[in-house]
Amino acid sequence: MTDGGPAGANAPAGSRVNSESGAKSLLLGLTRRLATMLLTLFGVSVIIFLVLRLLPGNAVTSSLGVSAGLLNHAQIVALDRYYGIGEPVVEQYTSWLHAILTGNLGVSLSSRTSVASLVGAALPVTFELAIVAMALGLLIGVLFGVFGALRPGRAVDLSGQGVSVIGLGIPSFIIGTGIVTMLSAVFHYFPSSEPFASLTSNPWLNFQQIIFPAFTLSLGIGAAIMRTARASVLEVTGQNYVRTARGKGLSRRSVTWKHIFLNAFIPVLTMSGIQLGYLLGGTVIVEQIFVLPGLGRLLVESINDRDFPVVQSVTILFAAGFVLVNMIVDVLYAVIDPRIRNR
Amino acid sequence: MSLTSLDPVPPAPLELGAGEPAVARHGLMRALWRSRNGRVGLVLVVLVVAAAISAAFGGTPYDPQFQNSSALLAAPSWSHPFGTDQFGRDILSLVLDGIGVSLKIACLSVLIAGGIGTIAGIVAGFLGRWTSAVIMRITDMLFAIPAILLALIVVAALGAGWLNSAIAIGVGYIPIFVRVVRGPVLSLRESGYVLAGRVLGFSRRRLLFRHILPNVAGILAVQVSLALAWSVLAEASLSFLGLGPPPPTASLGEMVYQSASSGLAAIDWWTLAFPSVMIVLAVIGFNLLGDGLRDAIDPRTRKR
Repeated sequence: MTDGGPAGANAPAGSRVNSESGAKSLLLGLTRRLATMLLTLFGVSVIIFLVLRLLPGNAVTSSLGVSAGLLNHAQIVALDRYYGIGEPVVEQYTSWLHAILTGNLGVSLSSRTSVASLVGAALPVTFELAIVAMALGLLIGVLFGVFGALRPGRAVDLSGQGVSVIGLGIPSFIIGTGIVTMLSAVFHYFPSSEPFASLTSNPWLNFQQIIFPAFTLSLGIGAAIMRTARASVLEVTGQNYVRTARGKGLSRRSVTWKHIFLNAFIPVLTMSGIQLGYLLGGTVIVEQIFVLPGLGRLLVESINDRDFPVVQSVTILFAAGFVLVNMIVDVLYAVIDPRIRNR
Repeated sequence: MSLTSLDPVPPAPLELGAGEPAVARHGLMRALWRSRNGRVGLVLVVLVVAAAISAAFGGTPYDPQFQNSSALLAAPSWSHPFGTDQFGRDILSLVLDGIGVSLKIACLSVLIAGGIGTIAGIVAGFLGRWTSAVIMRITDMLFAIPAILLALIVVAALGAGWLNSAIAIGVGYIPIFVRVVRGPVLSLRESGYVLAGRVLGFSRRRLLFRHILPNVAGILAVQVSLALAWSVLAEASLSFLGLGPPPPTASLGEMVYQSASSGLAAIDWWTLAFPSVMIVLAVIGFNLLGDGLRDAIDPRTRKR
């Protein structure tokens, strides 16, 4: 695990393949990854479906509460048919899968509007939040990690480690709650009290509404990336080829960026991919705190309403996003490291 | 070098892996104490666990649910060191009770995740290609759902309650245990002393329990500590979202939510501060303990 495997200068000679077959193997690898990804997503959909359907409690008992116990058999059957939950499980699954694949996510049980329109409205918010948070996290993590490791024990390094303790140790819902409380109590400022403004309609208000939740999320990601970047840079700095590069009189900048940074980047990339999972989970909580109408908020609301079609669709969407990004990370490995490309 | 290191242990024929000698175990504790992370983590964890145990045996200053109507939202004082909430309940007692519930849920969920995950990981690493492939595919699928989301939908399906929270949180962490255990088992299976054991005709069970499992124990200990940190965090997050155990079960996440959503946090800061600090201490404690254990076990990082 600790072995990030920096792309050293000691690649086996046999791995030098001409570029044409390199591109071909890249394409082959891409196809294989795509197939694995689809298989994974299929499994994920089965897991989510089973978890939500095979366990006790359903839309009927949820919307009627205790009085569901007073229904006679005919009424139960009729209600089940109304909600579409009376059919055999396999049939329910296949019709749901078919609906998803054709882009028709079904109808929300609680609001009676199409799931696609609910998700469509929420997706851009979470997407923007995730992108900004990831960018901030990478910025914090890479800057502190790399510059800290280049001068271990100095001010940058120590402050970076301080940030990483905060980011890893303090849950995002506490950081978020703290920020909201501070903003409203001290500065009498709460941008989310106004309805959410999209990036195109009111960029400035949108920025104010997104930046605080994004910052909240980015601390945790940044801390993890920072630790990885620091360890990785420290390890690479000790390698022989870095000493060689210094010895032959290359400029400091060239050594830092071409020899150290590029070789230290792969573990950072891996960590970023992993962190995206936490980030997607984190949006659920942070959107709740900052009252952002994103997918996470939609998910919690529909869980409370036992609105299965919405819960299923949103969870699948989160999983798809996570899997997709990890595939992109895999492809990026190949772009950065020629040895992986030619494997 | 401790016996839990991943490097093949120099062979002592026929007595391989016959339990760790006491010296090695003391060495581990000393190494743990030598790392700054391990020291701080150990102290925090002992404090947090002591708080939880004291609450479990009724050691709270007040009955946590007792509502003192003459002391609503009292600021911290000698009689209420952490103040009181809007119902006049003593926050110190609630916080102690809350961390007790948190740790109970965390321990059970780690037992679930660690138990299932370790067995699956060992099977995937030790048995044949097919079993391994099936287990790893399922693990990948579980891993594709962010753990907190998985916990969220499981708790949504099961309904709120401390046992259900524990199951939900445990399920979310299973894939991590599978991955962490499988890797070392794969490489241990091909290591010299396991091959030697195989040549000597040891049974599979003996190889597994006497030669492989003790060498995975260290990695497992690190992961258990990190998993506990995550579980405390996840439990607090679920409660914060209103999906934790229902009242009157004390819950730190719920206290934070109540304080923040009612707007009390801005004025009566103690309603937010103390539950938050308790969560943070527990999470940081287990995380640092895990880091310290890793430092202590892995001789490569120990030198730093």
